[in-house]
Amino acid sequence: MTRVFVFTNHKGGVGKSTSATNIALGIAGMLRRANASNCRVLLIDTDSQGHASLVTTGKKDYGADDSLYTVLMADRQNAAQTFLNCIVQSTWDENLHVLPASPMLEGAERELMGVAGAPYRLADPLSKIANQYAAVVIDTRPSFSLMTEMGLLASTDAIVPVEPRYLETVGLMSVIQKINDIRDGWRHPALRMSGVLVTKMDNRIRGHNHLLAELQGHPVLGKLMLGVIPANEAVSYAHHQHQSLFNYAPKASASKAYAQVVAALVRYMMKGGA
Amino acid sequence: MGKPPTTHRIDDLLASINTDLLGDPFTVQDNTIKVERILLEMVRPDPVQPRRVLPESIHFTFHNNRATPTQALRELVQMVQVAARQRGRPFNSVLELMPNSDEDREDEQNVSLTPEEQLLRDLVNLAVTIRDDGQVNPLTVVDASQGVTRLFRIETGERRYWATWLLRDFMPSYTGDGMIPCIVIPQQSSSVFRQAKENTARAGLTAIAMARQAALLLLTVHGCEIPSQAVGNEFYRQALELDLRGKREYTDTILSAMGGIDKARFSHIKGLLQLSDEALELADRHDIDEKKLRYVLPLSQEYHVEIVRQIITFGLSSKQVKELCEGDTEDMNDNDPFDKLPPSAVKMAKVTQSTNTTTPQDLAKAILRQEGNPDIARARLQALKKLLSEAELYLERE
Repeated sequence: MTRVFVFTNHKGGVGKSTSATNIALGIAGMLRRANASNCRVLLIDTDSQGHASLVTTGKKDYGADDSLYTVLMADRQNAAQTFLNCIVQSTWDENLHVLPASPMLEGAERELMGVAGAPYRLADPLSKIANQYAAVVIDTRPSFSLMTEMGLLASTDAIVPVEPRYLETVGLMSVIQKINDIRDGWRHPALRMSGVLVTKMDNRIRGHNHLLAELQGHPVLGKLMLGVIPANEAVSYAHHQHQSLFNYAPKASASKAYAQVVAALVRYMMKGGA
Repeated sequence: MGKPPTTHRIDDLLASINTDLLGDPFTVQDNTIKVERILLEMVRPDPVQPRRVLPESIHFTFHNNRATPTQALRELVQMVQVAARQRGRPFNSVLELMPNSDEDREDEQNVSLTPEEQLLRDLVNLAVTIRDDGQVNPLTVVDASQGVTRLFRIETGERRYWATWLLRDFMPSYTGDGMIPCIVIPQQSSSVFRQAKENTARAGLTAIAMARQAALLLLTVHGCEIPSQAVGNEFYRQALELDLRGKREYTDTILSAMGGIDKARFSHIKGLLQLSDEALELADRHDIDEKKLRYVLPLSQEYHVEIVRQIITFGLSSKQVKELCEGDTEDMNDNDPFDKLPPSAVKMAKVTQSTNTTTPQDLAKAILRQEGNPDIARARLQALKKLLSEAELYLERE
């Protein structure tokens, strides 16, 4: 079964898009190194800001005919075919495919409000094509909107990027609670909380170290710790160049940390999500 | 947009991680054959598959991307609706083609159906079986994906593919999810020989499809590039100039893939490609046997379609086809009186060449032994004498 990783947090600027894009590329690269027959990874951008689409495809003007918006608005029977038609190849790697976001997704939420089966408009077509990919990575918007619910309903594994700051770690439990609500409320037992990814960690800041230690010592969150990504200027420069962090600065500390997260996720995938 | 680079800088970074976390060398073992459920739209029939399911005109429209699978099937349904209306049994839904009582079945047995009607009925039957029992037998497909375009080319199971489309778009009771189970074969493992074996191992491969199959194998072993779009008869006819002798190392493989036939049969089958285009199409649609078609080949191409039509209309046996075709040859040679001589006359004429080697005594003894009575032997000789005198007179007059 193809694992579908969703990166979600209702707080903005915690590194959801950076993590989703680089980890998606990393999984494709690691599977290629392992000579896997299928090393394709699909990145789905559900954030109407389209940052993940911009950096991975170099383009942001996706609209009504060639984006996730098109898929959500498609006739139910043709949604999977529409989905396939809207996928583009990333400029980062031939094995990284992207279903781009569009600013029109903002309006899609209003248009779909009250439409029967609306929350499943991403999950249904994705379930028909997910097996064509080794993994699927979904980037969500910084809110618990219908679009984020759609992303969660289409996923098997939720990963929560979080900055080591007091208010954000306080909100972490509510994010996890929301994920549990989706799993139980929408009867989606395949969804599990698979990791907490600490981002923008600065060892020089005492508060960061203190909160990281608290997280690691927490009986539940400690077990969910997927990795710690150090704060790194290379991330912004890579974004500016529309390049992956791995390619822009392979020796940067953040690159190495992301590579370790990728390895952990690939190992998890190989074990069938166990 | 150009092909994106495969990033090697990331590879170096990931290599160092591999050793620590995943064990070195880390490889993914996934050589097992898997059955995957694939979206119907991602699957396409092979345009050069010798066994064609759809009628030729629809086959080419579909493979030249002028029709979607649904449109291709709609065209077939409309074609059959016209034929059914002409027989006074119109239908609106394809489900009406299913016989629903013993009386219907008996009625149907008395009616000769066009190949298109038969095809649609078979597809409807198959679709109903899939609806009721599920797709028990997966299709075999080759992964022909390129870039973001995911595409699987059918190696075996094209009828099941069309039946599934029929079920999805033409039957109101469809409740499936538009997926079809497939055994996926990697592109590099795709083989025309395996496809040929699958084809010849099953019933219903027409003689013309066999001829196309033979041509495809010959062209492949001779290094001809097999196109990825629909091809006309001219493509297959290139094989008429090729033979098994040119590639002896493949002879056994080809004959085995063709169902274990011998070289002579292979040659006969391949020879069918000499038929005119119209004759090929008709013979394929009506599944006419090679043993009948072989007698049509020596005739001029303009007569092929007419003879094939007569075979279909009158249900001629191979003996009748032979008489029809060879009779035609005799008619064409009417001006030559020597071709119509009775065999007994030809035999006696040969005897005249051996008079120097036979003595009268030996001839008398031989006739006596043959007849067993001297009087009858004498009578035979007198009759022969009379015949010879009259033949001499005829020669004098001529």
